[in-house]
Amino acid sequence: MGRGAPSSSSSSFESSNYPSVSNKSSFSQLKKDLSTDLRLGLSISASQQDNPSTASDQQQLLDWPPVKPFLRKALATEENECSSATFFVKVYMEGIPIGRKLNLLAHDGYHDLIQTLDQMFSTSILWPEMDIEHSGQCHVLTYEDREGDWLIVGDVPWEMFLPSVRRLKITRADSL
Amino acid sequence: MNYFPDEVLEHIFDFVTSQRDRNSVSQVCKPWYKIESSSRQKVFVGNCYAISPERVIERFPGLKSITLKGKPHFADFNLVPPDWGGFVYPWIEAFARNNMGLEELKLKRMIISDECLELISRSFANFKSLVLVSCEGFSTDGLAAIASNCSFLRELDLQENDVEDHRGHWLSCFPDTCTSLVSLNFACLKGDVNLAALERLVARSPNLRSLRLNHAVPLDILQKILMRAPHLVDLGVGSYVHDPDSETYNKLVTALQKCKSVRSLSGFLEAAPQCLSAFHLICPNLTSLNLSYAPGIHGTELRKLIRHCRKLQRLWILDCIGDEGLEVVASTCKDLQEIRVFPSDPFVGNAAVTEVGLVALSSGCPKLHSILYFCQQMTNAALITVAKNRPNFTRFRLCILDPTKPDAVTNQPLDEGFGAIVHSCKGLRRLSMSGRLTDQVFLYIGMYAEQLEMISIAFAGDTDKGMQYLLNGCKKLRKLEIRDCPFGNAALLMDVGKYETMRSLWMSSCNVTLGGCKSLAKKMPMLNVEIINETDQMDISADDRQKAEKMFLYRTLAGRRKDTPEFVWTL
Repeated sequence: MGRGAPSSSSSSFESSNYPSVSNKSSFSQLKKDLSTDLRLGLSISASQQDNPSTASDQQQLLDWPPVKPFLRKALATEENECSSATFFVKVYMEGIPIGRKLNLLAHDGYHDLIQTLDQMFSTSILWPEMDIEHSGQCHVLTYEDREGDWLIVGDVPWEMFLPSVRRLKITRADSL
Repeated sequence: MNYFPDEVLEHIFDFVTSQRDRNSVSQVCKPWYKIESSSRQKVFVGNCYAISPERVIERFPGLKSITLKGKPHFADFNLVPPDWGGFVYPWIEAFARNNMGLEELKLKRMIISDECLELISRSFANFKSLVLVSCEGFSTDGLAAIASNCSFLRELDLQENDVEDHRGHWLSCFPDTCTSLVSLNFACLKGDVNLAALERLVARSPNLRSLRLNHAVPLDILQKILMRAPHLVDLGVGSYVHDPDSETYNKLVTALQKCKSVRSLSGFLEAAPQCLSAFHLICPNLTSLNLSYAPGIHGTELRKLIRHCRKLQRLWILDCIGDEGLEVVASTCKDLQEIRVFPSDPFVGNAAVTEVGLVALSSGCPKLHSILYFCQQMTNAALITVAKNRPNFTRFRLCILDPTKPDAVTNQPLDEGFGAIVHSCKGLRRLSMSGRLTDQVFLYIGMYAEQLEMISIAFAGDTDKGMQYLLNGCKKLRKLEIRDCPFGNAALLMDVGKYETMRSLWMSSCNVTLGGCKSLAKKMPMLNVEIINETDQMDISADDRQKAEKMFLYRTLAGRRKDTPEFVWTL
């Protein structure tokens, strides 16, 4: 791997004379050498580094970034498991016998959850911050906790909700 | 002082504990040398090939505790082939043969076999402490030998070792009479452990203060263990069940309520954020938190956890905490001294933190002096601000995932930024840099980094001058490791005497040639100059103009080592 452009001996640094060869290309060269055929069709430049790599990039550099192999392995396994745990719960909407499943852990909090459910079930779920002008057509979100009781979603902090929720149900606002 | 009897001097020297200080004491005069050497109990050998075990035994006959380091630091990053060396067997064999009363052994980056572990367990009746960091070559059978035979074992601490796992019977090998355990860390073991044996072991170890479990210990067992060990100070949680039933969760909460002494928390190897709220109970007392193996904990859950940790002094975290999360750290953890931010996705090469997080930490945490930071990008302005905010840095390691990336805003090299760091942080002892860097940054380092002892450089510099500035300027330099830089023979040979003042020099993928290395080896007989040759084409009589792909040199009193594998030549 070539390194060290035969640059001038002046030690003072001038940005305009910055040599374009040497280290910058050596790293890209390093990565290029290891890329698979799939990349051949792409124009390869130094800026390629910033693009998220494809699955074909499994021929990763094993010595950069400088991370211990132990940590690398641990993170690789996690990465394959979507780098996060999942917690799927069943969600039913009143009047519809077939339910859906939803990964609660893919959401940041109640707001995020409501948005997903609104989309999933093409409805608007009543939420304290919302305006309720269409309250007639609205739904309310409830959940069954570990003790088998049905409660309104949103009363307790999100992190207390997660360990206790068993499944969700969307009921019509006027049927409560 | 020479009129005092030896016993008095010895008693006074007992108060001198650091190795450096004891080394100084031993150089005052011959009588002091004799007394110090015969009374020294703890020895640190930074390079196991720098001296022979026989010589250590001869000088320190009262040795009870030894720390040995083997492979070069860059071995941590797959740059050193396996079997390069670092075998501890000759040391143990020598200690055993000479009836040394060894009690503590700490190894880093060394190869230790099961036979060796067994030899330890049988040879040293008072053996108390085994700490292995980044080692390999052994299996759980070796651990079984230690467990079975070391009656007074206090500490078995396995950190990030590559252990061949033959299942968990080793835990059952601790005899019922073994009640002395203070510290047990087996977080790095990949296999199952005998859970019943673990519970019984914890139950009969009243002095247990540090316990780090591996992923095979589920939540319900953890809860039982905590009930038996409420005095734990350091806890490493193993796995986390995704959907624990409420009974287990409640029991865990109850157990954690009793653990009032926990100051250090780590693990969460297969983490689901669900049960984290149970740990909020112990967060207010935590001084050390290591979540670097828990990519499942991020976002709001992680931030909530951090907000409870007001007393944190040490934090190891993944970059999925984000700049936003680091701002929470900066505003919450006012006692923070050390932080390490690791890349959660080293393969793709995208980090989730930038210069913003670094600046926030530097301004929010007045006691911060040690940092390892893997990030997506950096700017000179940010580094200059950090240098102004935090002149108390002693360890500063920055790794930009694209190692030649310039200032993200101005596109300039990061010379000025790092220059500001070394200028402002007068106590800086350790430095790693990345990003686009020219010879200029080395000029700054040579000029200002007077206390610098260890520096790691990758993909930096333009000419030999860079390395020359470094070698000329840093008087206290001990370890220098360089990869992928355009430094050649002129730099290598500029001041050959310098290497005798240092522990070691590593250069890989640079411009030094075989001829240059040979020349150095010839001039400096007290150095071992080793070439690691991984390609078949090269041989020792090869063209001297060929580049030496990997060179590792170190000062030594032991001459060339006798255990070099085929691919390593000592010139």
